[in-house]
Amino acid sequence: MGGISLNYLLRRLLVFFLTLWVAATLIFIIPRLAPGDPIAAMVARLSYQAGFVENADLIIEGWKERFGLNDPVYVQYLRFMTGLLGGDLGYSMARFPSTVTELVGRALPWTIGLVGFSTFIFFVVGNLCGALLAWARTPRLVKVLIPMSMIFTSIPPLLAGLLLSYTFAFLLGWFPQTYSYGFGLTPGLTLEFIASVIHHGILPAMAIVIVTFGYWALGMRGMMVTIEGEDYMILAQAKGLKPFYVLYRYMIRNAILPQMTALAVSIGTLVNGVVLVEVIFNYNGMGTLIVTALREQDFGLIQGTSFILIVTSALAVLIIDLSYPLIDPRISLEGR
Amino acid sequence: MTQQLNPESLSQNEEGTSKRDDFPLGGGKGRKDRVVLKVDNLRIHYATPQGDVIAVSDISFNLYEGETLGLVGESGCGKSTTAYGILQLVQPPGYIVNGSIEVDGTEVLDLEEEELRKFRWTGLSLIPQGAMNSLNPTMRVKDQIIDVIEAHEGKQSDKEALRERIFGLFQNVGLPNRIYNMYPHELSGGMKQRVCIAMGVALHPTAVIADEATSALDVVVQRIVAQTLIKVKDEIGVSLIVIGHDMGLLAQIVDRIAVMYAGKMVEIAPVENVYAKPLHPYTQLLIDSIPSIKERKPLKITEGITHDPRNPPSGCIFRLRCPFAWGHCAEVEPRQIMVEDLHEVACHLYDEQFTERRANALATIANS
Repeated sequence: MGGISLNYLLRRLLVFFLTLWVAATLIFIIPRLAPGDPIAAMVARLSYQAGFVENADLIIEGWKERFGLNDPVYVQYLRFMTGLLGGDLGYSMARFPSTVTELVGRALPWTIGLVGFSTFIFFVVGNLCGALLAWARTPRLVKVLIPMSMIFTSIPPLLAGLLLSYTFAFLLGWFPQTYSYGFGLTPGLTLEFIASVIHHGILPAMAIVIVTFGYWALGMRGMMVTIEGEDYMILAQAKGLKPFYVLYRYMIRNAILPQMTALAVSIGTLVNGVVLVEVIFNYNGMGTLIVTALREQDFGLIQGTSFILIVTSALAVLIIDLSYPLIDPRISLEGR
Repeated sequence: MTQQLNPESLSQNEEGTSKRDDFPLGGGKGRKDRVVLKVDNLRIHYATPQGDVIAVSDISFNLYEGETLGLVGESGCGKSTTAYGILQLVQPPGYIVNGSIEVDGTEVLDLEEEELRKFRWTGLSLIPQGAMNSLNPTMRVKDQIIDVIEAHEGKQSDKEALRERIFGLFQNVGLPNRIYNMYPHELSGGMKQRVCIAMGVALHPTAVIADEATSALDVVVQRIVAQTLIKVKDEIGVSLIVIGHDMGLLAQIVDRIAVMYAGKMVEIAPVENVYAKPLHPYTQLLIDSIPSIKERKPLKITEGITHDPRNPPSGCIFRLRCPFAWGHCAEVEPRQIMVEDLHEVACHLYDEQFTERRANALATIANS
């Protein structure tokens, strides 16, 4: 019987934290290798808006001093890492008084909501479509319609977002074009606000779903065909079990296992797609935040957003990993 | 083995005596007066782009109540296809061309889909080939037995009684109760096979078909599983068809043996007849090829050519390899001739009009 030993849990957590450490280090290094200077860029932006900024050089120096950019790299690194441990991601350089934690805290729930919702939809719909494609008793019409619905699978989420936005928001006006909830609404647990959130979330989520579910459907179909050839399928038929029961308890139940593994592997790619979709719909999540940060060369924010995305992805993979013994009895995570 | 074509064995037929009024090896519970499974002219093809492969060609046989029938033949001769045909489990591109399969008077081939589903396992059950992969890896042993019970007897409200019933099945096949909550991967091969046996008899079907149920096991476990099979069969009183190619093992557990060659039933006989006085030339060569620990024997069935299963030769299927074939064999397909009670053979040598040729064949053997 599958169970998780303390030993395994500790080892798995160690790997998890190791991942985070490596990620944090890379995130620290990479922006510093890039050309450009965030403070100079900001002052340049200010001077572009105001026409002229007095004592620009002094301001730049002052801020560099304030952000510790004049310190040796290892001091910056240590400060960065100790900050992370305390949950302090530093200040946003471009929007100075705001801390990165603050900005991320505002954006992260939206992205988690969007990713969670769309992942749920495409995983369920994709696997169901794949199962129906392979099932011998599926009506022929359904078997023709499902592949037709998968024509968007090969286009990038970016284009799917534009397409949906143009069709359903601009042309038909069924859904709002931007943002995650209606203007003038106060976030809270009111019916009006929740309805607005769902209304705003559907298009971005669909942009992810329509380009993704076909991939899962095809994978599932392949798995189902393999399962159909298994000896226990013959026995299930010989036993005279009800066809629908055989479909979900014998076929889907076994075919879904590799799909779960694939889901864990694909979470990274998924986040990539979400970033772009968020930008298209001006959805106020991590994607929009990270793109803004890149555009403004906001070191602190780039580090913070990337790090949080990595933490959440790694956490999702960790959860799928640890839940594996629950879904596949053959896999036991007991220490030996 | 020169005494194989013994005319005396045939004379017994005329006297109407048979040594076998019952089936001593199978526990003696068989009653040859009641047919539980009647297969008539069953023909199964596999469709291929180059034409149909004839896997089973007009096979007919009876299975009597309480009887254990062995079905033997080379790999690819159609034994498993026959079994799957009887169970209505032939997978595409295979299909049943014609025939009739009657179980307790019910024509299986005429059943509607839902009737067929209800008939399955209550009429005929299967102990599958390769029990290693025949259990669903994601379901507990108990759930796989419960699901077949509930599929046919409805949702069981009394869980305690259901558990006792399954424990009873475990006891029948010598399984410990602790496997109740286990998953298939936690069992050994022999245990899995016994779970399949327990499952196979759970609903007390009319007949059970064991498709090479012991072929993936080592000889010791094989013996235990075979004994379990026979014990359970006798206790529950079902009829049994055992498919296999291990003639030695089958000899110990079956009442009658049906020998298949290239989709045809060539001989069906009480087990001691098959070994002591096989009639069909193929059966003779087969028995003569069984190796023994005392004697190294060559494989006798090597001469002649095998045919293309899409275009079987005219007349007798075995004539290309048969040492006794003559012109008539190419022209007329032999019928199954009842030479003795419960002993049928499909060979022209046993036709009344070729008694002389039978004597000549005997002389040939004697001279060699």
